[in-house]
This record gives sequence, C-alpha cells and structure tokens, in this order.
Amino acid sequence: MKLLLIILPLVASLSGCAVAPWERGNLAKPQMALDPNPMQTELLGHSHGSREAAGAGSSGTGGGCGCY
Amino acid sequence: MAAIKGKNKVLASNPLQSLTAAALLLPGVMLGVAQAAEDDEFNFQYGRYEESHRNLGDIKSQFDPISVDSLQAGSKISLTDRVKFAFNFIQDTWGGATPISTAPSVRQGNQPLVVNNTLVGATPYLQTGTPQVVYFDNQLNPLKAVMDENTGEIMSLGVDKQLAHTMALASPETRKEGNFKLGYEWDEAAIDVGGGISSERDYESRFGNLGGRWDFNQKLTSLNLGLSYTNSDTFARQDHDASTYIDYVGYARNMKDTSDVQITKGRMLTGNRQDWATNMGLTQILSKDALLKFGVGYTRSTGYMANPYKAVTVFFVEPVGGQVGEYSETIPYVGQVKAFLEKRPDLRNQWNFSTGYVQYINPLDAALHFDYRFFHDDWGINAHTFEADWVQPLGAGWTVTPRVRYYSQDAADFYKPYLAVMHATDSDLNNKKDLNYLPANYSSDQRLSGYGALSGGLVLTKQFAKGLTLETGFEYYNHKGSFKLGSGGEGDYADFSYYTANAALKVNLETVGRGMSGGEHDHHAMHHNHGAPLPAGVMFGHVMTTPGDIMIGYRYMYSRQDGRMLHGHELAADQDIVSNGCNLEPGLTCRTSPAFMNMHMHMLDIMYAPTNWLNLMVMPQFMDMDMKVRSLGGVTPDVNRDHLHGGHETGGVGDTGLYAMFKLYQGAGHDINMGVGVTAPTGAVDIKLKRMHTKDEGYIHYGMQLGSGTWDFKPSITYTGKVDDWSWGAQLNGTKRLENRNQAGFAFGDQLQSTAWGSYSLFNWLSASVRGIYTVQGAVKHQFNAVIGDTSEGSTPIMGDVNPKEGSMDNPKNYGGRYWDVGFGLNATIPSGSLTGNTFSVEWLQPVEDDVNGYQLERNGTLNATWSYGF
Repeated sequence: MKLLLIILPLVASLSGCAVAPWERGNLAKPQMALDPNPMQTELLGHSHGSREAAGAGSSGTGGGCGCY
Repeated sequence: MAAIKGKNKVLASNPLQSLTAAALLLPGVMLGVAQAAEDDEFNFQYGRYEESHRNLGDIKSQFDPISVDSLQAGSKISLTDRVKFAFNFIQDTWGGATPISTAPSVRQGNQPLVVNNTLVGATPYLQTGTPQVVYFDNQLNPLKAVMDENTGEIMSLGVDKQLAHTMALASPETRKEGNFKLGYEWDEAAIDVGGGISSERDYESRFGNLGGRWDFNQKLTSLNLGLSYTNSDTFARQDHDASTYIDYVGYARNMKDTSDVQITKGRMLTGNRQDWATNMGLTQILSKDALLKFGVGYTRSTGYMANPYKAVTVFFVEPVGGQVGEYSETIPYVGQVKAFLEKRPDLRNQWNFSTGYVQYINPLDAALHFDYRFFHDDWGINAHTFEADWVQPLGAGWTVTPRVRYYSQDAADFYKPYLAVMHATDSDLNNKKDLNYLPANYSSDQRLSGYGALSGGLVLTKQFAKGLTLETGFEYYNHKGSFKLGSGGEGDYADFSYYTANAALKVNLETVGRGMSGGEHDHHAMHHNHGAPLPAGVMFGHVMTTPGDIMIGYRYMYSRQDGRMLHGHELAADQDIVSNGCNLEPGLTCRTSPAFMNMHMHMLDIMYAPTNWLNLMVMPQFMDMDMKVRSLGGVTPDVNRDHLHGGHETGGVGDTGLYAMFKLYQGAGHDINMGVGVTAPTGAVDIKLKRMHTKDEGYIHYGMQLGSGTWDFKPSITYTGKVDDWSWGAQLNGTKRLENRNQAGFAFGDQLQSTAWGSYSLFNWLSASVRGIYTVQGAVKHQFNAVIGDTSEGSTPIMGDVNPKEGSMDNPKNYGGRYWDVGFGLNATIPSGSLTGNTFSVEWLQPVEDDVNGYQLERNGTLNATWSYGF
C-alpha cells in the first residue's frame, strides 16, 4: 500500500511529460521491449528458480519440483 | 478503508511475474500507434544446463554432476483480430549427481568404493559406514583426529572446519509441461486466462491464471494485474539404497508402502502443496527514449514444500565417558550420526518488489535495461537481484546482448548444514523419541543457505528478412558463499557453478503473411497446396521449387510397446524366454523382460531451397523414453539382481539429420525426388543405470539410448502423383550404419522401409490417407563394452562385467525384425486467413504383423503428428 502511495503520485507527475504517438518510434524498437529475449529469459528463469530461494515465488507459471 | 484493504490484497504481487506478464502482454499495445500488436509466431528452443563438480575435500566424486536438456516449442496465434491464443510445450530431462546431505568432512559422507584394490566408484554414506560416530569439543565443534596409519594411534586433534556435501546420483528423469493462454484485447485493455499441467515421475503440478491489462494516460501508462493458483502433488519413491539410512520418522504419516509386489518393500512419500500468487505491474513511458516499470507481488504457499530426497545429518551428542582414555580431556563429547529427511514449515508468505528502467541510447541505437528485485519471505530469507542488459543492434539483422546479473540471499531460519543435539540416542532408525530433540524444521538444502551468485552471458540474434529469427545464448553462473551481500555466507564447500546455453528459432507468422500480400501470397498458398498431401509419417516427400523458400516444420512421434512378448511372429511363453531369451553367453537365462515401453520423439525440420532442384534440410531430434520391467513367470524376483524399481527413464538430444533433396523428375501430376543424407551421432549411447542395492550397474538397455552412436547414411527415393482430388505416392528409404560399432561398443542394425499410400481430398483444405508400410531392421551388432564392477551377489566382491544381461531387452539379438503396418491419416492445409500456409497432419500406424528377431515386446502402434509452414 505504501508503495502504491509512492508510485501513483510519481506516475501522476510523470504524466505531464506527454510523448506524442509520432514520438514513440524509439520506444517501439525491439531492443526497447520490456524483455528483448523472452525465450532465454524463461530458460534462465527456470535455472535460477530451481537454484535460488527467491525463485520459488514465481509459481502459477508451471515449473516442477526442481528437486534435483 | 476496508475497501482499500481489500483492494490492496488483490493488488499485492510477485514482481518478476508481473514483469514477465508485462513483457508478454505489453510490447506493442502499450506503446500504442508506434508499435503493432504482438505478432503471431511459432517458436522453438533447446537449452542445456550443466553443473560443475562439487568440492568434496579429499575425495573426488566419480559421478557426473547434474545436467539438464530442455526443449520448448510454442505458438501464438490470433484466432480473430481481438482473440489471441498461445500454447507451449516444455520438456526437461535431467540426471546426475546432486547433494543429498551435508556433514563435517570427518564424517566422510562420500567414500571411495574400492573393490580388489580397484576404485570402482564413490558412494554416499548417510548413516552406516565408518565412522558412525564423530567426536566433539566443548563448543560442539566436530574434531578431526589424525591417526597414525600403522599403529592407529591418534597423532593430533583439531576442529574440523571443513564441511562436505554427500553426493548421490539421480537417474535420468523427464518433466513435461503443457500450458495455454487465451486472451481478448480491446483498444486500451486486455484480459487473459491461462492454465497448464506439469508432470514428472514424482511430482505433478496443475495451474491456472488470470491476467488483465489497462492502458491509460494516452497509453503512456499501463497497469497489469495477475492472479494464479497452483496445486502440486509430490509422490516420491524413496531410493532403495537410502531407505536403510535415511530416517523418515518425521514423515510417518506421509509415507506409504508401495504395493508393487515385484519390489521389496518400498516407501513413497506423498504431499500436496498449494500456491496462490497475485501481482501488479505498472509501466510508464518517461520520455521518447525511456520507460520505467514497477511490480509488487505476493505469494502464499501452503502444504508440503520440502525436498523429498534431501536429508539433514544429525549428531546425537553425549559425554564420551572413559572411552577415549588419555584423550578424555580434549574429547569431551561423542556424537552418534543419523540422517533425517528434511522438514520445512507448511506455510510460506512471500513478497516481491521490483523496478526496472529501459533507456534508449541514441548514438548507438542501443538500449540499456536495468532491473532490481527485492524478495522477502517469512522463512527469514531476504534476497536482492540486480540485472543489466545492453541490447546492441549491429545491422543486417544481427543483435548482440551482453547480460550481467547479481543475486544475494540470506539463509532461511531453519537452515543448518548439519545439527548437533545434546542428547543420546540409540542406533535404531525411525525412533519416534528422536523427534523430541530435533527442531520443528531443519534443512541443509544449499538453496536455503546464505550466498551470492554472479552470472553473465551473451545473447546473439539474427533476424532474417522473411520473419525468421535465430537466437543463441550463453550464461555462466557462479554461486559462492563469499559473494553474499554483507557477511555470513555459507562456507566454500557449497560453492559451485553452472552454465546454460540455448539455441532458439522464431518464425513470425505475421511478418511472413504481410510480406506476401496480393499475388505473391496467393502464389505461396498455392505453392504449398501444390503436389500431393503427404501422410504425417512420410518424410522427404516434397521438394520446394522456388529458390529462397524456407520451410519450418515440427514433427512429433509417439510409439508404444505393451503387453505380450513375441518370438518371431508367435507369442512367447515366459518359460521359453527364461530358457532362450538371454543366450548372449552360454548358460545365461532371462529373469526379466519389458512390461511396456514408450518412446516420444520431437523433431525440428528446417528446409531451405537454394535452387529449384535442390533442398537442404537440418533435423535435430529430441527423444525421451520410459520402460518398465517385469519378472518373468517362474522367476523369484530378486531386488539385488533385477532392477525392478519403478521403471527407467532417459531423454535428451537425439541424432541430428543433415539431408539434401533433389528433384529428379517433375511432370504433369507426377514427381520423383531423391534424398541423401546422414544422421550425426549427437544422441548419447552411454547412459548407464544408477548404482542400486549397493551394486554397480552397466549400460541401460540398447533401446533406451538416445541415438545410434554411429554416423548413419539415409537415402530415400519418393514418387508422388496427383489427379483431381486423388493423390498417391510410394517411397523406399534406408538406414545404413557407416560404422561397425559406436563408442559404447555396439551398432544398431541397418533398416530398409518401403511404403505406398493413397489420399483423397475431402474438402479443399482436408484430405484423408491410407498407407501400407513394410520395414526390415537388423539386430544389434556386437554388444556394450564391458563395465567392470562387483558382480557378486554376496558380500565377497567378484570383479567382472556388470552390464545387465538377464533381461530380454539387454540381449542384442532381441532387436530388429520384419514389420507390416497400416497407416490412417488426416492432412489439413489452411488455405486462407491468418494461418494461410500452415499444414497440420496426423497419422496412426497400426501394426498388422510383427516378425521379431529373438524375443521382443509386441508393438501397439505409432502416432505421427506434424506441423509445417513454408514461406
């Protein structure tokens, strides 16, 4: 909740700096995608998830026992 | 306030997930007019994970460390402009050595196994073995005594600061997962629902999820919400060898005796766990060159969350009394060793907070990605993850991305490398009284220890003009106690490293479709409809005749053998198999035969036409197999001799095919083409059975190896014809082994197959086929190289070849034969719409007659399913 209280005003303040649709060319480039390499990210995520305690949180997206 | 609270609960979340969800949903729509919606695509990825050897102190483990082969194939398609559907298939096969417990080195958790002065392996020791006791000082530090080799006298004493993992081998096991997502998109919002199932021998997980996205503020801001539920069952058969050493008293209620009469009393640990996860993500465009993202997540996990194969070493310590004579003053305590299956709390609340920043670097046309994530749970773990990627396009479709990542976590409250409790015990296993002296939870799993990990790697992608993208990546990961933020990391005995490598292929179906508008599109649609539709089980049937054309295909084959044993084409009685089925050596009789065997093959099919008469093809294969063995009638099952322990599994990369196809003749309605090629022996043929029942085992059965191990020549010649709605064809293909034996000592027999089919178009997009197939395959030549080990059934070792020879599937003569099959198939080619050019086909092969070499299991049938897309 506290985080939301911080984020929302921040967003509100940022919304002043409008970026017109025709100015979004750079944002649309593949290198600017939130995850430019989703397949590798998924594979590495699976390795990290089976070796790190914090990886266990991302359930609901499959996975397995990772018991090895 | 109540309302806000309620809302807050829903909004709490898992940031990694929210970022992933954002990544899946956002690119495109969020950015509004500048970027198109996520395109339809087919993707395929192979990944390899390989761990380093562990530091075991003075002893070097004989076992190969854990390695994992992963295979992933998926597709995203638009069912309508607004309805999107995505599905994925994922398969991992792993095997190798992994820590099962930790103890001071003086405990000697890994002991070299020496028989007749020959080192034949290393064995994990959890309870029995020497020494069963360890001495402790007043601070309960374990003491290491240095003995004089000749007199046995203690030369010196010191605190034993060196810990070591006890390593045990896990035999190969395969996990399979299928998942889907169905979404609906509005101009400024989207919702999706998804689910899936993940299944492996000892664990099954079912999950469902809901997600939503809302763009506002002129699409400068985007909000994601997600909710997921996972329900997972553990049903872990405890290792026979470990059963006598691991104490299961903490799990008396979760253990059930396996009812399999063919196995001496076994134990199965069962448990259920449920996870509810929620997440919220916010993405904000900051300027025309930068964006920022936040995520929060909460996951509540309940139920059995421990690892069913990991044990904690416990020393029950008591005053040593007068046992050690003159050392009584320096050695005040002695500890009796036991190993208990680990216990974890049955509730875990986890929180995630994450943020990320993406900046476009104008002069270099590059992008910098920076992410940070904080994790906190009520097991006492706080973790930080920092990650930075630099995505650098190089021109001509090439992009290189260096990635670096740092991770650090605290230890869980109940993590202890080992326990020393001040109380005496007896040497009995599963003594309920012991529980009174243990904490409520205990684990020595390295994943719950305090450590840091530094990893880095590179991704290289090449986008081809036709919407085909190839990607390859590598990551090296270094786990060290000393890398932990702050102090208190685990000792260096637990350090290890691994690498992950991947190769992926993506076909952007939209780009291809857009690139072929108008007449050209029609041309392609027609091109791929041209000629005769081929039954799914026929390969090398078509040659593409437009130079520059590419075809991507995916083939899946499943075949099963089950039920009756055959000798030639007649049923074989068990007694006959016992007497004659294992005649590899004089006097040898059979004790077991397969009860069933399943084989799954996934094959990627990449085809390119450099000219109008030549096509080049690459076909990597991925195999996985499982087999269950039964005792033959009249044979008393002997668990020390027959490997009857719940089935065998193998899986991973198979052989890789490299082919050239030539158009020999093309006339009105008649085509003849020829294929020549080889398969490279990329599939493993040296997979061994796990050491069981204190006996080493040799190579696993010939048919369970992943490849042929030899370079094989594969010629084919195909004729196809077509008139109106009718089409037909015939093919002759062969496999000639180019080597006499492979590295494991044998070679599969050569094969010749002839087939002919007829097909009728029911509609312009759907045809049905009937096919006859006759196959001749030779028996296995030679046999596995000898594996030297202890072949005795008693306690006195006798050295010899430990390869299994008492199962009918272990006799090279029981391979190959002459087979008749009939195939029934359907073939659909999408003529219009967004999936134009996609061909789907399925075929069931029904065995008509088997005439097997030696003694073999009857075949039940084979399913072929293929998808292909030409552009």
